[in-house]
Amino acid sequence: MSEEYNDNKTVHAQSSETISGGTSGVAPDIDYVRPAEIPEQDLYHGHSFITKWVFCQDAKVIGVQYFLLATFTGIIGLILSWLMRLQLGFPGAAGFMTAEHYYQFVTMHGMIMVVYFLTALFLGGFGNYLIPLMVGARDMVFPYLNMVSFWMFFIAVLVLLSSFFVPGGPTGAGWTLYPPQTILEGTPGSGAGILLMCLSLILFVAGFTMGGLNYLITVLQARTRGMTLMRMPLTVWGIFTATVLAMLAFPALLVGALMMSLDKVLGTSFFMPTILKAGEVLEYGGGSPILFQHLFWFFGHPEVYIVALPAFGIISDLISVHSRKNIFGYRMMVWAIVGIGGLSFFVWAHHMYVSGMNPWFGFFFATTTLIIAVPTAMKVYNWILTLWRGNIRMNTVMLWCLGFIVTFVNGGITGIFLGNVSVDVPLSDTYFVIAHFHMVMGIAPLMVIMGAVYHWFPLVAGKFLDEKLGKWHFWLTFLGAYSIYFPMHYLGFIGVPRRYFEMYDSPYMTSAVGMNEFISLAAFLVGAAQFILIYNIIRALKVGKPAGHNPWQACSLEWLTPKVPPEHGNWGDRLPVVHRWAYDYSVPGAKEDFITQTTAPSEVVDTGVEKT
Amino acid sequence: MSNLIKKLFGTLLQKPWEKDQMVLDTSHPGKTFDISLQKSAVIIIFGIATVLFSLIFTAYIYSIPPEQDTMYLLKPNLLWINTLILFFVTYFFSRIIKDLEKKETLKIKKNLIIVGALSYLFLFGQLIFWTQLMKSGNYVTTNTYFSSFYIFTAIHALHLLGGLFFWGKVSSRVFKLEQNKILDEEKNISALSWYWTFLLVVWLVFFLMIYTFNDTFIDWCKSLVA
Repeated sequence: MSEEYNDNKTVHAQSSETISGGTSGVAPDIDYVRPAEIPEQDLYHGHSFITKWVFCQDAKVIGVQYFLLATFTGIIGLILSWLMRLQLGFPGAAGFMTAEHYYQFVTMHGMIMVVYFLTALFLGGFGNYLIPLMVGARDMVFPYLNMVSFWMFFIAVLVLLSSFFVPGGPTGAGWTLYPPQTILEGTPGSGAGILLMCLSLILFVAGFTMGGLNYLITVLQARTRGMTLMRMPLTVWGIFTATVLAMLAFPALLVGALMMSLDKVLGTSFFMPTILKAGEVLEYGGGSPILFQHLFWFFGHPEVYIVALPAFGIISDLISVHSRKNIFGYRMMVWAIVGIGGLSFFVWAHHMYVSGMNPWFGFFFATTTLIIAVPTAMKVYNWILTLWRGNIRMNTVMLWCLGFIVTFVNGGITGIFLGNVSVDVPLSDTYFVIAHFHMVMGIAPLMVIMGAVYHWFPLVAGKFLDEKLGKWHFWLTFLGAYSIYFPMHYLGFIGVPRRYFEMYDSPYMTSAVGMNEFISLAAFLVGAAQFILIYNIIRALKVGKPAGHNPWQACSLEWLTPKVPPEHGNWGDRLPVVHRWAYDYSVPGAKEDFITQTTAPSEVVDTGVEKT
Repeated sequence: MSNLIKKLFGTLLQKPWEKDQMVLDTSHPGKTFDISLQKSAVIIIFGIATVLFSLIFTAYIYSIPPEQDTMYLLKPNLLWINTLILFFVTYFFSRIIKDLEKKETLKIKKNLIIVGALSYLFLFGQLIFWTQLMKSGNYVTTNTYFSSFYIFTAIHALHLLGGLFFWGKVSSRVFKLEQNKILDEEKNISALSWYWTFLLVVWLVFFLMIYTFNDTFIDWCKSLVA
């Protein structure tokens, strides 16, 4: 399709040595840039509303599409969490809600937030928008495939949400979808609901594979001249490594979903043991539910890092820009991202300590789980050391960054509790686990998303978001989230079990009531606070202060496009040439407190070398 | 491989802020590996498909029923012929690649047709084998062993069909080109060739597993340990 438009609509960039002056004989050798070796990319430019904004091949538009759709599903997940908290805090207040509804809401909330919101937003949203800009490419290497990737995601979301409208409703088996109960009668949504969930996951994985292929090859093979891997911003490192993880982990989810569908539809028994139901032996037999648990968590644990690694990368860049310092220990940060990525494939069974596994197996996975805490802690130290003696701008972006560090440390520490078998067993299936993973992979990544939105909105829209509203948004979210999850740890300690519709006549009926009410009220507040951002965005688009070029005085390439917001093709006639890494802040001897990545050494001859 | 590891670790040890390194870095062309985008894509697909097939292999081994040398008992069967066909496909692809290297384009169109025809023949052979299995009373629901067998062969066939989709696209372009322009499609054709070789390797691993991971073999292993 694109060929017919290529003749007159292709951007013909002529990356030239004149940018650097390297061949003119005037500039010194330190500015030398080799001639372009990578051929110019043909781009298909949309010419109608449909091809520009709907079926668009521009990675930036696709990124925004991912962002909006993921946010939409995230809002549905948020509403489901409100309904759950309404039941838990004030049982019976939502008159329509039965136990079946509650389990369905729990399941859909979990799956939506982890896969369709966080993963899609970090990789699809930020990945698409930022990768080509940050590595100096015109677009992703396979733009058509990239567009198909988004539309597969769109269909996956439609299929998932359609399960609310089929007989029996969506699956209510919990987001882990453990067989055999998932597909057996008696579990809510064990008919069409679970099938639609599996189909949606298969579509999501297929779509993501197309996108992931783009992210990886663009980073590896389509960077601009001078952009070595170790000059890339940590955001790109985070998204890149997370994509590698996703490409290796999602097949496990795909296989699990496929086999479970076959168990349901064809009557195979991949995950189904011999089952006696009401005195009758079912036709299933010979399968292993534990096999599904292994498949699920072989995907499920790397999934935590698929969300966390882009968050780590993004937060590193935000902290560096807004504290006007180079990131402390850049190399160590890269090693930690890669190391965490590798180790994340060796910890999955710490989610299965109570599955009856061999104790030595538990010992192995407890050890690997504790080992992964080392590179993670290194990253926390480095963020703090980046802030140390920095020229900190205490703006909304920085507040989200600080909020993230504190929240991540909190969630991480409780992770060390749960990584140990002897502590995990009594805490399993209690609210302690809920509190832990919401802190570490719910609130902490959310804070990064918010920080990133406040940081990059001026690039996407050319306008600033309102700072005052932003600070309100932050403080309500931060204090509200702690009001939810701190007490929840104590609920776990006193033994309140998760996934209970109500507490019936248990001791928790008296001891946990007040705390549950308080948590629910806080949850309503935090959820509502998120709409401040939506209002802020709409307001900024209408009457926001123009941001202009590079409003944060950042060094990295995405801020250096000829036009703001960047147009399709990103770089006008000439691709940028990179002369330095992305963290030259407050360099001794420099006139300003930042030197952009495209600044040639001859332009800043009196600068010293930073120590990191 | 050692070069790749050296390159990877060498890269991770760079200090991009130091002046000497800055000069080196600025002369970097921007590409990490000297291969085409198409081959890069195929390599990444190898990675994903390897994990996918490994997990199904695991499910297959996990599900071998005790005291049952299932597929072993059906030997010799059509799978041997299908395997041979897949070998032939790879052989013809290697001839195409050699011709491309020598810039001899006369036989490329013919060999591309043979590759496609043999691939479809392989798929047809697999379908026949499925019907043979079903006639012998071994359905997808018979036990988890046969479920794993069917799912593996189906997913392998789906991968082959995906390859055939791209084979169709590339072939239709090649057939529209004049003889001297066929070399322009070299990157696409060699990426396809890599893909088919990968599918052959995956198939061979599974094929070997069918005939080795049976009770006789497992008993022999146990006797060694004992």
